[in-house]
Amino acid sequence: MRNKRLFILMIGLIVFIAIMGFTLGRTKLTWPEKFVVDAVGTVQGALYRPVAAVAEFIGDLGRLSDIYQENVKLRQALAQYAKDQIKYNFIEADNERLMEELGFTERQKQLYDYRYLIAQVVGSSSNPLDKTIRINLGERDGIKPEMAVTTTDGLVGLISRVSEFTSTVEPITGLDAESPQGVQVAATIFGKEKQSFGIIDAYDSANGTFQMTKIDENDPMTIGDTVITSGLGNVFPRGIVIGTVTNRQVGDYGLTQKATIEPAAKFDHLREVFVVVAADVNGP
Amino acid sequence: MKMKMNQVVLTGILLLVLENGVVPWLVPSAWSGRLLPHLTFILTIYVACFAGRHRAFLYGLGFGLLGDLLFYGNLIGPYGFGMALIGYAVGLLQERRTPTLASVIGLTALGSIALGTIVFLIYHLFRLTQWSYPFAFYWYMAPSLLLEVLLSLVLYLPVRKLLLKQAAPAREEAPS
Repeated sequence: MRNKRLFILMIGLIVFIAIMGFTLGRTKLTWPEKFVVDAVGTVQGALYRPVAAVAEFIGDLGRLSDIYQENVKLRQALAQYAKDQIKYNFIEADNERLMEELGFTERQKQLYDYRYLIAQVVGSSSNPLDKTIRINLGERDGIKPEMAVTTTDGLVGLISRVSEFTSTVEPITGLDAESPQGVQVAATIFGKEKQSFGIIDAYDSANGTFQMTKIDENDPMTIGDTVITSGLGNVFPRGIVIGTVTNRQVGDYGLTQKATIEPAAKFDHLREVFVVVAADVNGP
Repeated sequence: MKMKMNQVVLTGILLLVLENGVVPWLVPSAWSGRLLPHLTFILTIYVACFAGRHRAFLYGLGFGLLGDLLFYGNLIGPYGFGMALIGYAVGLLQERRTPTLASVIGLTALGSIALGTIVFLIYHLFRLTQWSYPFAFYWYMAPSLLLEVLLSLVLYLPVRKLLLKQAAPAREEAPS
């Protein structure tokens, strides 16, 4: 009897290791998986969103006193934006004219033309080693794996798997320099896009910060600068805020430097996110 | 002592939805990566204590896999495997004994550590985590364990009232 149990345990272990190995790094879902995920996701969304609304309302009540100061700051920012808008319009018109004159192809022209789709979060995982969130946009809405996901604050993650009505977002807190399928974010500094470059490749859970490596010694980056995606890796669209530099020091081998980045977006208590859709340049 | 399995499965689905839809909002922001109670796991322990090891095995397997599938990050299966194994093991330990509050709580605590360890080892095996075991234990296993024990305590009366078939009225007067 004991041996039979042990035997079954061993077989179970082997079967599970096989399943885990098989599902590791797979991006496609089969239809039963999609069905289950969509069915539960829909029900979950019906619960998650009202709870989120109530929780945010209570949070907002606590912040009522800060609203006045926030308003003043926003008004100043708005005035600045109005000025910048004029400048932007001129530059854009110029840019378009120059692209025309230099004979840019249609693909090159649309390379940085992004659309932002708003999505509601319907649930977040309870697995501490594998934090993912689900959103209520799927294949139907034109979502594809590897699209970037942001909030109004900054970059949140990448779409990892898509089913018919919902999809899974892998937050960039899962970044891991030594993981087999590691995603790395090519980043630069807002306002110093031409001179700054670094790669964000790890997240430190204990401190809640990113690590940015491969920074040149002569890089003008300083503490307090805003880090944005550079779009050079062709995975993340360019110009999405990631965070602020809090520390800069000599890297592990002394040749390059590394910096610590405080994330701009928060990765929990998410309610609405934006999926960044790049123009379909490879399509027909 | 028997459980009403239909209701137990329905409760399981409800708890699964609560676990991923409501609990994240109740946990404060600073603790969101650390306090992650698995409500379906708590119910699996109850199933193991009150309905036997085979049912606990199937129940743990089903809800573990469902949870894995819903939030499919890197791989499917760690929670399915862990919960099925622990459900069976707890059922085996409890086979000849009458479950009491203390034993249910104790087994939840032990099972929670075991589940956390199994899942951690699987992720470690596939090199999906760089954390050391002591850090993982301190970071999320211990806080989640305490919360799970607390929730198990909270669920004890509702489970007894709603999910168990009352065997004999005499049982009500029996405890000490």
